[in-house]
Amino acid sequence: MAGKIEKDREGRLHISRSSISSRINKTGSWRYLKPVYAGRTAPCSAACPAGEDVPHIEHLASQGQFRGALDTILKENPFPAVCGHVCFHPCESACNRSCLDAPLAINAIERFVGCSDTEEKMLPLIQTVPPNGRRVAVIGSGPSGLSAAYFFCRLGYRCDVYESEKEPGGLLRWGIPSYRLPAAILKHEIKRIENLGAQIYCGRKVSASFLRTAEERYHAIFIGCGLARPIRMQIAGDVQALDGLTFLKDIRNGNRGAFSGVSAIIGGGNAAIDVARSLVRLGSHPIILYRRRVEDMPAFELEIGMAQQEGVDIRELTTPVRMDKSARGIALRLQKMATDGFETDSGRARVIPIRGERETLPVQQVFTAIGAEAENPWQQPKNGSGSILHLSHCTLTTVGFPIARGGDLVNQVLSVSDAVASGKQAAMAIDSYFQGGWASVEKRLADCRVGQGPALSLESYLMNDVSHQRHPQLVGYHDINTAYFLPADRAEPMVAGPKERRASFSEYRSDFTTRSAADEAGRCFNCGICNDCDNCRLFCPETAVSVEDTRRIDMDYCKGCGVCVVECPRGAMTMEEAEHETGS
Amino acid sequence: MDHQPHSDLIHPGHVACPGCGAAIAMKFALRAMGPKTMVVIPACCWGVIAGPYPQSSLKVPVLQTAFATAGAAAGGLRAALDMTGDSETVVMAWAGDGGTFDIGLQSLSGAVERNEDILYVCYDNEAYMNTGVQRSSSTPYGARTTTTPGLGWKRSRKKNIVEILAAHRIPYAATASIAFPEDMIRKFEKARHLKGGSRFLHVYATCPTGWAIPSEQSISIARLAVHCNMFPLYEVENGVDYTLNYQGNVEVDSYLKAQGRFRHLNEDEIMRIQTMVDEDWDLLMQKVSR
Amino acid sequence: MKQVLEGSHAVSEAVRLARVQVVSAYPITPQTHIVEAISEHCSSGRLAARFMCVESEHSAMASVIGAASGGVRTFTATSGQGLAYMHELLHWASGARLPIVMAEVNRALAPGWNIWVDQTDSLSQRDTGWIQFYCEDGQEVFDTTLMAYRLAEEINLPIMVILDAFFLSHTYEPVDIPDQELVDRFVPPMEPKIRLDTADPHALGQMVPPGAYMEMRYDIQQAMERVPFLYRQMEGIFAELFGRAYGDVEAVQCDDADIVLVVSGTATGTCRQALSDLRSQGQKVGMLKIKMFRPFPDESIRRALNGAAKIAVVDRNCSFGAGGIFAQEIRSTLCNLENGPPVFSYIAGLGGRDITVDTLEEIYYRTKALEQPDMQSVWIGLEPET
Repeated sequence: MAGKIEKDREGRLHISRSSISSRINKTGSWRYLKPVYAGRTAPCSAACPAGEDVPHIEHLASQGQFRGALDTILKENPFPAVCGHVCFHPCESACNRSCLDAPLAINAIERFVGCSDTEEKMLPLIQTVPPNGRRVAVIGSGPSGLSAAYFFCRLGYRCDVYESEKEPGGLLRWGIPSYRLPAAILKHEIKRIENLGAQIYCGRKVSASFLRTAEERYHAIFIGCGLARPIRMQIAGDVQALDGLTFLKDIRNGNRGAFSGVSAIIGGGNAAIDVARSLVRLGSHPIILYRRRVEDMPAFELEIGMAQQEGVDIRELTTPVRMDKSARGIALRLQKMATDGFETDSGRARVIPIRGERETLPVQQVFTAIGAEAENPWQQPKNGSGSILHLSHCTLTTVGFPIARGGDLVNQVLSVSDAVASGKQAAMAIDSYFQGGWASVEKRLADCRVGQGPALSLESYLMNDVSHQRHPQLVGYHDINTAYFLPADRAEPMVAGPKERRASFSEYRSDFTTRSAADEAGRCFNCGICNDCDNCRLFCPETAVSVEDTRRIDMDYCKGCGVCVVECPRGAMTMEEAEHETGS
Repeated sequence: MDHQPHSDLIHPGHVACPGCGAAIAMKFALRAMGPKTMVVIPACCWGVIAGPYPQSSLKVPVLQTAFATAGAAAGGLRAALDMTGDSETVVMAWAGDGGTFDIGLQSLSGAVERNEDILYVCYDNEAYMNTGVQRSSSTPYGARTTTTPGLGWKRSRKKNIVEILAAHRIPYAATASIAFPEDMIRKFEKARHLKGGSRFLHVYATCPTGWAIPSEQSISIARLAVHCNMFPLYEVENGVDYTLNYQGNVEVDSYLKAQGRFRHLNEDEIMRIQTMVDEDWDLLMQKVSR
Repeated sequence: MKQVLEGSHAVSEAVRLARVQVVSAYPITPQTHIVEAISEHCSSGRLAARFMCVESEHSAMASVIGAASGGVRTFTATSGQGLAYMHELLHWASGARLPIVMAEVNRALAPGWNIWVDQTDSLSQRDTGWIQFYCEDGQEVFDTTLMAYRLAEEINLPIMVILDAFFLSHTYEPVDIPDQELVDRFVPPMEPKIRLDTADPHALGQMVPPGAYMEMRYDIQQAMERVPFLYRQMEGIFAELFGRAYGDVEAVQCDDADIVLVVSGTATGTCRQALSDLRSQGQKVGMLKIKMFRPFPDESIRRALNGAAKIAVVDRNCSFGAGGIFAQEIRSTLCNLENGPPVFSYIAGLGGRDITVDTLEEIYYRTKALEQPDMQSVWIGLEPET
């Protein structure tokens, strides 16, 4: 009866008593789906032409870490303060939060973060590549050129910027009025780029011969000199019309001039609005004449609204047909237009003149702001010579050595952020060319897209590995678990009333306070990123989530229930099909 | 989340179904209770989740007991600890709805009438889930189970266990939900420190398997139950002082339609359930506002 | 010191002197005097124990299981219906190897309601893994209760100390109650082999799959098989300290007996008288008192009964469809003996009906008159049908 039972006869009882933990049971073998910290892309980041990592920026700002927020912006955009003043914030239009209450005031927060940088040295804590011995010439110090210089410097190139005006900045300095972008803000941010090593040579207009000899001194060129030749109306008497862009430049130069009476402004873009709002401040009564409908105007809606509040009249479906001198100034002959029910290729209403509908408008002065074109033929790429690559924001040619053209030269861009994107794309394209040859450029850039593009991330480019690629999928509102967010009002700094605004060229937007900036940033869902809210670890029934330096899921035990993914408030996790990695 | 997570007192590798609300509930409970806890578990899902011999999935002592005996066994264990001079360890009975509302009701009532110094937790998945989804007196009106199948879906109302416990005038009785972790952990901590008498916690524990919902909805369905007042969050002190913790304002139909066990209900039946929920809510509000 | 005590109080005195730590109580006639007395000991401080007034016998057993798992000395008492109600937990107590001691007052099972002596209740629980001791008188009840604690804590099996309803529980007899100091030497403070401890956390009582369960059951059986030896050892020590011993059985004048009457409980006392009377009538009769029923003392029984010509077993119980239970067990003990004596089975005294000297003499003469026993148990003392 001894049996084969091994027992300690001195008091050890063979009972139902545990001796080991359940850890030997590798329940990871149960799952057929597994959770992944996917790091999907937020729609705001994808909408930003510069591809800024907006959720991270907001997360840092919400915790008062404005230096960190600034550095995060600077990874993708050298102009946070400038963009905070003038960007048309497509990020806010894409913001998922707008489905709950109101979009995040991303632009105002960027403005706050950008302007909070008061450090003397202003060397950003961002990654740069050691010098590679190559030199790049940048032609034009507008936003695209300066952006190109910034990104080239970060990529290890020696950069010389040639600017024809006496101060750098392009339209940022000489086009946009100071009530939208004070010069000091711009200077501060340009200094940062110079501190990275870019040399800016002002008063140096570049000619075609420069291009011919450039190959001896430079390994690549970026041309971002913009459209310097204003387009004329080409109607009788148009010589009497003043050029809007020149007018704006004069004001920025300190030559304001006196303009009274009625001014007519021909055009519908931001330049036309800038001219009109400037005229208001100079004592004139501006009337904008636009050939299509107001809703077709390319100018930013916000700007149009501001202008109208300040007393600018807008007459749509009107186009000038002749200008005659008159006793009091100019008799402007106008043709009324009507939509014909069709659209142009760019999606705007097609208009036709209404027979017999003409009128004369007596004005003091007429300004044109109907666009511009490149001044010199070499500023545009020649067809048929060498290879040419048309990217979304720049073109790349190799005739001997690589030349990129960006900014207004390539796109009729509306915004500074597109110009930033242009410079970045060009720098990345040229660097890819040097590293992997012509054939590698498109693929290399495509790997750095933010979402589906066209925005590119330099961060991804520098990391050069799959794990740091920005996820191609965007986080939608349905991916957000709104149970974790209480509706809250959008906070925005105050804007002065039209009467106050008209009185001067001073800025009219207040700034956030530190507290209100952090609070508003706290409304951000942080779509697609992990901000350590710890819900996944909290709710996991298997206690399979741990945090050491990174957050990880123990695949030996994860049953693939998916609770973590659903309870992630911000869609930072997805479920994927599981191949069994556990040993069991 | 303010609550600082620490090393959990539950091991992975346990055999709870994916998304099991009872597993999540135990995790939260032990976060509040700490290592000086002994858990008394009668027959229920946790009897299996606690680990088949020779495994244990908990890092605290566990005493498994017969189905009807959680209240009595916990009281006895408490007596032993008192007699050996251990006044720090808390005895926590951890029973399912079957072992609390039905077969265990007598011993629970006996224990709390004696005001035994125990914390009794009923984690409620609203049926005999461990044995395969048979109805209990905690199964809500309208639900299908294997013993209330088809047209025979449950026509009697869910027993109100907290009211039964309140009638015993114990120091503390409360409901808690896995979808409201801070509230739940707060209540466990409160209960843990209220030594000397009986404390009762009624915890809503989603059962994806038994309720026919996807496992990943475990927390969201628990949240919805509170939001539509199916499972109000409240506390009762000494049987008479009621505190409401949350006021929901959503209709029941999204809650019902999200679960397979209710999917057969037509609009009239859903309205009837809404009426019942509203009635129960009114009764509760009368007590809260006393 | 000798005191005149009713049987119930022989139990309660032993519980007090054994320094039991947790007592669970649910009232049922005729055990109530036991728990009432203990309750007074607790409230007066004579016994430093937690006294739990539980709401049912099932909970009484559940709560002492809980307490014993916490490593303390425990006690409860029950009878009849109450014992039946605890049934599943009796299995639990032994399976959990908890050293619980319970006083069980043999009482008939309903319907009809009958509060008087009948052994069917305790014998119905003979499979539950509890050690069972049947007591003849108050002194034996007291002594057995003390011995139960020592034995239970040695072997980790629960023990039932069984006494007849009213004939023992409510009968006053002289009982020698020793000093606390002497009892402490025999029953020292408990050193539990099972004790839940937060410093060394384990789970008890878990699900056990087929691959492991049988070995645990075998362990219980092996423990049971060691009991007769341990009991003998322990009684030796008891005898040294207190001057008394009982043995697992007591054989009286069996050596030259043709017929041996097998009895238990208070009927034993009556049987001693019947023996004396029959012997004086020249009958070669002997008596075997069964004290230990579980584990069934096969060796002692074979030794005592092998020489007899006939065995007459008096059962104050019945397993319907099979007859007297002691008889069945004795038959199975003797069945493999070469030329083992035939066993005559008698059922008498159910539901408190008296077993008198006449009853036993009738049983003796009947046995003597028959060659072979009936297949079925013979019921003695039935009222004729009218």
